[in-house]
Amino acid sequence: MMKKCRVLILIPFLGFFLFAVSAYAATLKIQCSDCHDSEKFTTGFKGSVHGNTGCTSCHAGFKSLDKHVIFKEKPALISCGTCHSEIEKQYRNSFHSLYEDFKCYDCHYDIHTLKPEKENLKIAVTKNCTKCHTNDEYALSGHGAAVMKGNKDTATCSDCHGLHDTKAYHTSGETYLLEAREFYNKTCKACHSNKEMMERNNISPNAVKYYEETYHGKVQDLGYPTSVAGCADCHTNHNILPKSNPASTIHPKNLTQNCGKCHPGIHPRFAEYKAHPDYRDKERYPQLYVSFLLMAGLLLVTFVFFWTHTLLWWRKVYWERHQMEELGIKLESPFTHKEGIERIKRFSVTDRIMHVLLIISFFGLVITGFPLKYHSTPWAGAIIKALGGAHNAGLYHRAAALILIGLFLYTLLKCFRFAFPKGFRKEGWRGFSARIFGPDSLMPNAQDWRQFKAMVKWFFGKGKPPTFGRWTYWEKFDFLAVFWGMIAIGGSGVTLWAPGLASWVYPGWVLNIASIVHSEEALLAALFIFTVHFFNTHLIPSKFPMDTIIFTGSYKLEELWRFRTPEYERLVKEGRLESLKVKHPSITLKIISSMFGHASLWIGLLFTLILLWTFFFA
Amino acid sequence: MGWISVDLMVSIFHRKSLRKAAVFIMLFILPFLSSCKATHTQDKSQKNIDSPTAVYLIKEKKAAVIDTMSYLECMDHRIPGSHCIALEEIDKKLLPAFPNKSQLLIFYCESDKCSRAGQAYEKAKLLGYESVYILEDGLVAWKRAGYEVETIQRVKRAPVISIKSVRLKEFIKERKDTFVLDIRSEDAFKANHLDGAKNIPFFMLHKRLDEIPKNVPVIVIDENGKRSFLACCYLINNGVKDVIRLFGGMETMVRQTRNKDNT
Repeated sequence: MMKKCRVLILIPFLGFFLFAVSAYAATLKIQCSDCHDSEKFTTGFKGSVHGNTGCTSCHAGFKSLDKHVIFKEKPALISCGTCHSEIEKQYRNSFHSLYEDFKCYDCHYDIHTLKPEKENLKIAVTKNCTKCHTNDEYALSGHGAAVMKGNKDTATCSDCHGLHDTKAYHTSGETYLLEAREFYNKTCKACHSNKEMMERNNISPNAVKYYEETYHGKVQDLGYPTSVAGCADCHTNHNILPKSNPASTIHPKNLTQNCGKCHPGIHPRFAEYKAHPDYRDKERYPQLYVSFLLMAGLLLVTFVFFWTHTLLWWRKVYWERHQMEELGIKLESPFTHKEGIERIKRFSVTDRIMHVLLIISFFGLVITGFPLKYHSTPWAGAIIKALGGAHNAGLYHRAAALILIGLFLYTLLKCFRFAFPKGFRKEGWRGFSARIFGPDSLMPNAQDWRQFKAMVKWFFGKGKPPTFGRWTYWEKFDFLAVFWGMIAIGGSGVTLWAPGLASWVYPGWVLNIASIVHSEEALLAALFIFTVHFFNTHLIPSKFPMDTIIFTGSYKLEELWRFRTPEYERLVKEGRLESLKVKHPSITLKIISSMFGHASLWIGLLFTLILLWTFFFA
Repeated sequence: MGWISVDLMVSIFHRKSLRKAAVFIMLFILPFLSSCKATHTQDKSQKNIDSPTAVYLIKEKKAAVIDTMSYLECMDHRIPGSHCIALEEIDKKLLPAFPNKSQLLIFYCESDKCSRAGQAYEKAKLLGYESVYILEDGLVAWKRAGYEVETIQRVKRAPVISIKSVRLKEFIKERKDTFVLDIRSEDAFKANHLDGAKNIPFFMLHKRLDEIPKNVPVIVIDENGKRSFLACCYLINNGVKDVIRLFGGMETMVRQTRNKDNT
């Protein structure tokens, strides 16, 4: 019993002894700095950004300290990503990791004494990057100089190239051309469209917006930056200096050479082209302002007039049809049924082929051109992608333009032949004015004015509908509008096609005007055809859903008599009616006409809906 | 088309004029159809494999992976378990290392802009190896696919400045003692090189280090600017004080000279 008590008394003493021994042992525990005792690992490390972590936070994976102290075990490889996982994720796909196999400590040179950045971070980044990337150009550039002056808005290396996610685009720019251009354009734009930042640095806040209104900007925005000038093409990659600096690529004396990199063989006046123009600014760009006003005015007047005309016409035709149905009135005809359906030739084969070619070229131009005008819409990108890219779309556009120019020149030739059937000599001039203002001519005359007035009166129920000759006044307008259109669209189009060559004829700012004219006139032409022409010619109740006469070439005798009575009477009087009678169009011709006509009509109407959606919702 | 009876449709399809119509319609549609690019136009030879396939071949078929870059590059970072046989040494070292010609071999390069693995492939085929592959886009693709690389002996990275080819001649003129070191292969060096340049191919650099002066500016020229950085770091670590690399390598220099001549 006594023995048991002694043992029990000893237990607390034994416990205390063990505690004391373990506490002593703890004081003897080996510290890393006991061996790694240089200043870097002691005071240096404690004052570093990682000072509050232990050595084994990074140098992990020890199994045996005993073995380590006798150099038989090394800690596992350091993985900064254990803590800096997001940065590591970015860094794994960066240029430095993929191509140079850089580790964190290759840039963060002495990781053990790394201190929090006290000075301007942008300056620190510049200093660190330029240890290898000794880029004099950047150091001297507007950005570089501003960084070193302490400007916190300006771009340091990492603002453009990324910090830990430096893109795998080689700086020589010859690889990943598309990705690099897309990325860097976006990077420039991100800051230069920041209004507040630009204003406080006395830089135009709208440079990006105005650039995107130019051909360069539109193609680039569509997703084809390799085809056109992006930011760095004119401003260079690093040597970006203000216009006033004689060393700047955009200094007036350097501009011709700068533009000439992409546009060889230009006249020095080419450099007068405005790369970021604001056509709303009448002080700085009066020519562009006036051009835009004129084009906008032209569109407004044309559409207000013709849409009103069309609406009134429609209302009247529907109203009369309703009345006739309600009152059971049937139209009288002097012909028997058999006579009435006889076909009278209206258009020659040449006319019909020309119109088919016109439709093909017109649609080709619209489909390939409008995506550029409305470049930021989703449909624009989809169309250009379907066409195989901006380059292909441009080729189709030019091919379609050539067809149209060919048609126009042939029409001009036909006009001259009509006006001077016997040549330009004295006898050729005989009867010139009678031909020009006669019933076969498409030149407007006093009769058209009278018919127009009668038409307007009829719209308001103040008279009978006029009857027309071979050509109505709106048909004449359709024909003559092409002449203006060809001068405006064709002239501007050819100018934009060969801008370098054009600079030998007129100054560079004419290209800016040509862009406005080409774009606005295209809108005028497309909307006019898809609304006014389509509605007047095809969708009017008497012809709905479409009139295929331009493809079949002939119409019924009764149609001729009813709508073009004076023309019918003239043909009878001149004894030419019989010679104009032709066979009923074949089923094949009818099917082709119907298919082609409907396809064109519905594509046009669909396009109109897309445009309307774009105006109001995009 | 519902208004056309079936009989009528059948009869008209036999007409000659309809054929003309078909030709006409095709002419209209063709330009638009021709713009539709085939999406799978890449003609990749079967010899090119991607990283997961390489991993499969290594694990399942015991394929040997061969780094065709220089010894220094291979020791610095490589696919784990790689054999370091530089392209220039294939003829000499491949057969002793792999006497069995049915051994699967996978060659790879440093980056996607390197043709060394392709040349090694041709050499191995000539030597009679049956199953030879190229890791497409090399180590860059390997890393992109998320696989690790191993380091046996790292070349400590150091700040290396570069010089653009337009400034090179001017520099050499100013510093007449400049040592121009061309680390490309002997063949490439024979094809074109700078006057006075010394050719020490990268795979020999660690063996011929003593041929490089330590106290004069050394300009390092490689193929395309992708390899000279590591060579420069190696030189710096070995006491060469003033090391500069040519930006973009010989390819960029040749191209810029050609462009200049053209203009």
